Amino acid sequence: MRFTQTPQGRKPLKLTLLAALCLLPAWALANADVEKNIANSGNWAMQAGDMANQRYSKLKQINTGNVGKMQVAWTFSTGVLRGHEGSPLVVDGVMYLHSPFPNKVWALDLDSQRILWKYEPRQDPAVIPQMCCDTVNRGVALAEGKIFLQQADSTLVALDAKTGKLIWSVKNGDPKLGAVNTNAPHVFGNKVITGISGGEWGVRGFLVAYDINTGKQLWKGYSTGPDNEMLVDPNKTMTWTDGAMKPVGSNSSLSTWQGEQWKTGGGTTWGWYSYDKALNLVYYGSGNPSTWNPAQRPGDNRWSMSIWARDLDTGMVKWVYQMTPYDEWDYDGVNEMILADINVKGKPTKALVHFDRNGFGYTLDRATGALLVAEKFDPAVNWASHIDMRSGKPVRDPRFSTAKNGPDVNTKGICPAALGSKDQQPASFDPMTQLFYVPTNHVCMDYEPFKVDYVAGQPYVGATLSMFPAPKSHGGMGTYIAWDAGTGKIVQSKPEKFSVWSGALNTAGGLSCFGTLEGYLKCVDAKDINKELFKFKTPSGIIGNVFTYEHRGKQFLGVYSGIGGWAGIGMAAGLEKDTDGLGAVGGYRELGQYTELGGSLTVFALPN
Amino acid sequence: MKQFIPSLGLLLLFLHGSARAADSEPLYRVEGGNQVDSQTMKGFRTWRAAACDRCHGPNQEGLVGPSLLNSLKILSKDDFVKTVTNGRLEKGMPSFSASPMVMDNINQLYAYLKGRSDGAITQAHVQEMK
Repeated sequence: MRFTQTPQGRKPLKLTLLAALCLLPAWALANADVEKNIANSGNWAMQAGDMANQRYSKLKQINTGNVGKMQVAWTFSTGVLRGHEGSPLVVDGVMYLHSPFPNKVWALDLDSQRILWKYEPRQDPAVIPQMCCDTVNRGVALAEGKIFLQQADSTLVALDAKTGKLIWSVKNGDPKLGAVNTNAPHVFGNKVITGISGGEWGVRGFLVAYDINTGKQLWKGYSTGPDNEMLVDPNKTMTWTDGAMKPVGSNSSLSTWQGEQWKTGGGTTWGWYSYDKALNLVYYGSGNPSTWNPAQRPGDNRWSMSIWARDLDTGMVKWVYQMTPYDEWDYDGVNEMILADINVKGKPTKALVHFDRNGFGYTLDRATGALLVAEKFDPAVNWASHIDMRSGKPVRDPRFSTAKNGPDVNTKGICPAALGSKDQQPASFDPMTQLFYVPTNHVCMDYEPFKVDYVAGQPYVGATLSMFPAPKSHGGMGTYIAWDAGTGKIVQSKPEKFSVWSGALNTAGGLSCFGTLEGYLKCVDAKDINKELFKFKTPSGIIGNVFTYEHRGKQFLGVYSGIGGWAGIGMAAGLEKDTDGLGAVGGYRELGQYTELGGSLTVFALPN
Repeated sequence: MKQFIPSLGLLLLFLHGSARAADSEPLYRVEGGNQVDSQTMKGFRTWRAAACDRCHGPNQEGLVGPSLLNSLKILSKDDFVKTVTNGRLEKGMPSFSASPMVMDNINQLYAYLKGRSDGAITQAHVQEMK
């Protein structure tokens, strides 16, 4: 397949950022220390490498010409089974690693790979089942000499980056009620931002900011409920309405729920957050409304399933956009918001790009929240024909409406499955090609909702479903795609046997790298993603994110392996449909032929 | 994965579970592999409401949690009740002692899962016998 050329007239990203920096108002403080660390491309200073969630590195020692010679430089076992998501951080010769529950953290000296310190919190094992079905953790943050860890039991801790000693800790939720954490904390300004998990326990989602020095809560904005608790100003918070941005008005959430259902209505916030310093806005998504049985919660269920822009200083919502009003399929909206300055329909735009679980790739104006592009990034998507660009709402196909078909009816052949055309596995943006590289799931489902009662601390799911590879396709359950967010088109698509559940990395060496559930680390040519330039089988399936750094003049590229997560273990052991009519049902089960549990880091480099 | 399905197919089965071997009441009744008595139906509803499938798989064949098709061949009824009530926290099995739905229907849940494990209930998704 031919690759489209970079459109003319686009400014290189570096220049655009520079221009943005010059225009900065005095009060915008991204956090000088983190910015300094990011500016040194030898570091991998944040989970996405930067605050814009771009997952792009300027390093180019390893490149399209020599990546084929890459070898394993060293490995590290975490000693933990279960799913390994996220990645280590590297700053100034020290690597900071994390593990799934029990959430161990290590600092490694990169000269010797010696462990400088290790932190292992004591957590009530009762939290483990509250995280069903896997105890993943997506990594730590580092700023001003402190490591921030968001533990499973919802405790957020700050550790001394030199010693691993606890500096402060704060309780972020009640795990007995299912309010646990899997997300990485993010430092923007003098704040550490975190969210909450538990959409399948009826947890009411929120985004919260703590002072990085003291752990003091500075603001907290809920996803649902009264305006003041969401930090929504009815007159100033804007949303896409009839083709323009308009104020949300009073009770924008309350009016879309029956009674007090918003209190157990979900909208959790366990994804990757991003930040635009010039606009001083934090971006993230909110998850599914609880329960999965739509019949029990009529209404749009605002603001579940939404893209949010909050002011970093106050938490006030500048704008919000709901992608899937009245969710009927568990299409969580938590996936990352990638901030990039690109041409959108020919016009240079400060864009926010988001690949939603619902299978649509959205491009919004990140300053105003205006909806610019919304197109399917997997052709299999069938629950909606398209997004009506005037209302911003999906146009649903009634055949796949689990609400219309009602409880105790099995609605068949819905694409995508609940795990979405893409889940949390973050995509990358390459300023050289101006394209987005997206690890996707190519999976459909049957979905049967049923009535369920809310009991505090008990699962509040209310649907059973079975998943299978997208029919009438390449037979696999994943693709790796290159996406043009300016036009909403798939530029190139690389079929994969299993869901691609690993975060992508692009580099100035012309590479795009990702892991597979079988355990391969793959690097492809960013200009032709079907050209596999490197492939290596790591010890276990990969659901972690690829990262890169430089140490003493040498570039390294690494990734966690350790199968797990929803895609991993779930699919490995269990997928079976009652009716085997679709031909590729054995697909995920076959994963068991490739991989076993076990967490380790594999680090690659070119031979000396 | 389907070897456990017996060839008994459409026969009306009266099976005696181990826990009730001394009783005259069968543990569960099943017809055609997926039509069950009202008590076993309650067991299925409990299985569903407690979202057991998230760990044990939609067909009890195991996911993060073990296959109940296998486990119920080994576990005694008492062990089953203890495990569900207290959980096995380290392994990720929650305690359902605070769930009225599960506690009130634990015998029915056992009957349903035992029927699945025995191979008598051939489909996870059952319906109530008319």
